[in-house]
Amino acid sequence: MNYQEFKNAVLAAAKENNLKDYELYYTESSGTSVEAYQSEINTFTSESSLGVCFKCIVNGKTGYASTENLTHEDALSLVKRSMENALSIESDEPSFIHKAGDNYLSYEAPEGSEPGSSELADFTLRLQSEVYKADSRVVDGTMSASGYDSSKYALCNSNGLDLEDTSSFSYSYAIALVSDGENKYDGEGIASGKLDDFDAAKIAAEAVDDAVSTIGYTSVPSGKYTVVFSSKVMAALLATYSSAFCADTAQKGLSLLAGKENTKVAADILTLTDDPLYKDALVKRTFDAEGAATYPKNVIEKGELTTLLYNLATAAKAGVKTTGNAAKASYASPVSIHPYSFYINPVKGSLDDLLGAAGEGIYVTSVEGLHAGANAITGDFSLSSGGFKIENGKKGKPVKGFTISGNFFSLLKDISLIGEDLKFNPFALGASRCGSPSILVEGITIAGK
Amino acid sequence: MLSQDLIKAALEKALSTGADYAEVFAEHTDSKTISMVSSKVDKIEDAVISGVGIRIFKGLRCVSGSTSSLLPEAVLACAEKVAGVLNDTPVISNVNLTERLFGDVHPIKVVPVSVANSTKIDYLREAYNAAKEYNEGISQVTGSFLDVDHKILIANSDGLLAQDRQIRSRIRIQAVASKAGENQTGSCSPGGRVGMELFDLHNPKEVGIEAAREAMVMINAGYINAGNMPVAIENGFGGVIFHEACGHSLEASSVAYGNSQFAGKLGTQIASAKVTAIDDGTIPNAWGSINIDDEGTPARRNVLIENGVLKSYMIDKFNGRRMGMESTGNSRRQSYAFAPTSRMTNTYIAAGNDSDEDIISSIEYGLYAAKMGGGSVNPVTGQFNFAVSEGYVVRNGKICEPVRGASLIGKGSDILMNIDMVGKNLRHGQGMCGASSGSIPTNVGQPLIRVSSITVGGR
Repeated sequence: MNYQEFKNAVLAAAKENNLKDYELYYTESSGTSVEAYQSEINTFTSESSLGVCFKCIVNGKTGYASTENLTHEDALSLVKRSMENALSIESDEPSFIHKAGDNYLSYEAPEGSEPGSSELADFTLRLQSEVYKADSRVVDGTMSASGYDSSKYALCNSNGLDLEDTSSFSYSYAIALVSDGENKYDGEGIASGKLDDFDAAKIAAEAVDDAVSTIGYTSVPSGKYTVVFSSKVMAALLATYSSAFCADTAQKGLSLLAGKENTKVAADILTLTDDPLYKDALVKRTFDAEGAATYPKNVIEKGELTTLLYNLATAAKAGVKTTGNAAKASYASPVSIHPYSFYINPVKGSLDDLLGAAGEGIYVTSVEGLHAGANAITGDFSLSSGGFKIENGKKGKPVKGFTISGNFFSLLKDISLIGEDLKFNPFALGASRCGSPSILVEGITIAGK
Repeated sequence: MLSQDLIKAALEKALSTGADYAEVFAEHTDSKTISMVSSKVDKIEDAVISGVGIRIFKGLRCVSGSTSSLLPEAVLACAEKVAGVLNDTPVISNVNLTERLFGDVHPIKVVPVSVANSTKIDYLREAYNAAKEYNEGISQVTGSFLDVDHKILIANSDGLLAQDRQIRSRIRIQAVASKAGENQTGSCSPGGRVGMELFDLHNPKEVGIEAAREAMVMINAGYINAGNMPVAIENGFGGVIFHEACGHSLEASSVAYGNSQFAGKLGTQIASAKVTAIDDGTIPNAWGSINIDDEGTPARRNVLIENGVLKSYMIDKFNGRRMGMESTGNSRRQSYAFAPTSRMTNTYIAAGNDSDEDIISSIEYGLYAAKMGGGSVNPVTGQFNFAVSEGYVVRNGKICEPVRGASLIGKGSDILMNIDMVGKNLRHGQGMCGASSGSIPTNVGQPLIRVSSITVGGR
């Protein structure tokens, strides 16, 4: 059956089971992608998927069940399983099905039509050839890829809410491999949005520069350094620690920001914003995973924590209103909390200005192993890193094979300068992504040679 | 899941535009995760994952498609979409399927999907409470019990039709210790290709106690001074170092394209002679075991490195074409929605001849990594990093005070050469490994090993 028929079957089953409070959450996505190796398209992939999650409240407890199989049998089992699961829940967390009546923001959907697979293939081959052209040290193993994704996200509930957001975009990226004869180096470049706007030469140059710039790297002596974090690295750190800003984590005692609202948690120059409809975001959200309206807000204002991010249950517990940040890791997941476009506001100065202000130090442009080397509960990080020396206020020779370590929550307080070059992680193509300008911090511990 | 007639029709449709190979992968998975926090069950995720993935090859090209519908019209539409990318005359027009049974070496005593939530919760609570009650310093505990019942069907234009049912269970306990505004964590998360008998193999109480013990050790730990030093890495999950530093670089998905540091190195010395490393998908009831891989090739025990000499890569059918080599039974995918590629199963450094006592007493000043966190690697450069979740300073051959915040970084090819002592007591640990074909269960393993010198990040 199609989704509409399945939805009717589920709602009928809910009635039959005398359920009063329930919600049906639906996602649908389709995508096409191509990948090139040497000068040929070697893989072509298309996918179409959907998933349905049913949520119900039984005796004040929330149960979930999900399926991808839209049959009459699954519709019945979905309701039955979620009711059984609700009966196993022990938490006193209040349960909600959101009421209608919110004021939902709107946005203009981007124009442009779906590129055909031959357009994706043509662009990818052009990109691949641009990468090879960009530098004589580019070797096989270099790959380029392009794709188009479209998705729909819908929610209806027993309070009469019936909401839907859609999004679609193209992306194209290159991973350049270069060799200096002895070692190999890789680098990446990406564009996303409308395929017609992509510049193959620019993506290629970005990927090749990223790879070539690290040739001949050395390590650095261990010690304390003034560090300029690139916007990419700072955005990656922020993403890793974003769960600490979420009320579910805080209320479970798993965030060091718990209970710190209206206190200083960062340097005065730092303002951190969460925006569900940020202008250049590829995926925008007008309602969250519980059907509550979303809106932009500052989470840290001039160094002071103004709010955590809430969903209905955590907001009720804290005696505040939801911030519209309910989210699901996948349609099948229970509700948790995520930021949208989550970014440190730009302040002043270019990257060169920050390097100049640093004088001597390290410009960190890459960190690896965030999932292992950074702990959101403790704030500690110890990360394999790469970048450049800062000498006489200028970007110097490449360095790599050292670790930076510290504590994220201390680092927020220790920030001395924030640049004006706000960038989001270009590889985060979903609704939740982080951004930052370049920042300068003194006294970062580095372990090298 | 799918009728034989439908599979045959889908394969023939997929072959209709000139492909020289076609494959249908169908899946129906039941998966449940019960989570507990603040001593109460707070969330249950209960999912059915079902769908079909279809691939065709023509020479060194691969086209793949997937759909979350098992309905005949959707499966045939997917085959048609995949075929639509090629435009040649058919080279295979008729597929005759022969059903094969490869057998199951992973007996399941109690199938979790047929067990009530309440039984699972009882086990989870036992582990949870053991962690919570371990010490007053434990401020929070989170726990979960996961069970997956993954039924797969694979058919291809060579006539293969095979099925497998992969049942896995895992419990995870994470304890948080707090002191003076600081948090430290400890965890324990054993699992296997087993049913509810997981708890005969791992006493839930001991799981909880282990998580809490680690958190308490670490809350009272200082920081290690950064630098280069010898490191002894304990058995079990310590094997993550081989997984990251070397395993990924031996996967055909990076070797076939020449972007692995170990491409073209078969038969050469890539590790110290102390190192023999194996990927074995056939270990009964192990977390990373499979009867057949996701292309229908029976799982094997592949010796990757023997006494330091590179013997084998881990290969799937598609990348094997480019390499001119046969599949080693290592093709894996998270689900129908991911195109499969070469992946690890249970990968470990085999037991050696050094005693644990000799390894520790050989270190004048260094680090003893009792428990490792996760890690990652860039297969191109070989640069890896790992977090040490429970570490101790070693001084004058003795294990001394605990240290936190340590990470190990380096280059895979260097560390393999620097493994200069290998202990006798092999153990495995469980992990989820992420790569282009999704997140899959893998075991890592090793005995206690000594790396003569490695960069330790600390503060």
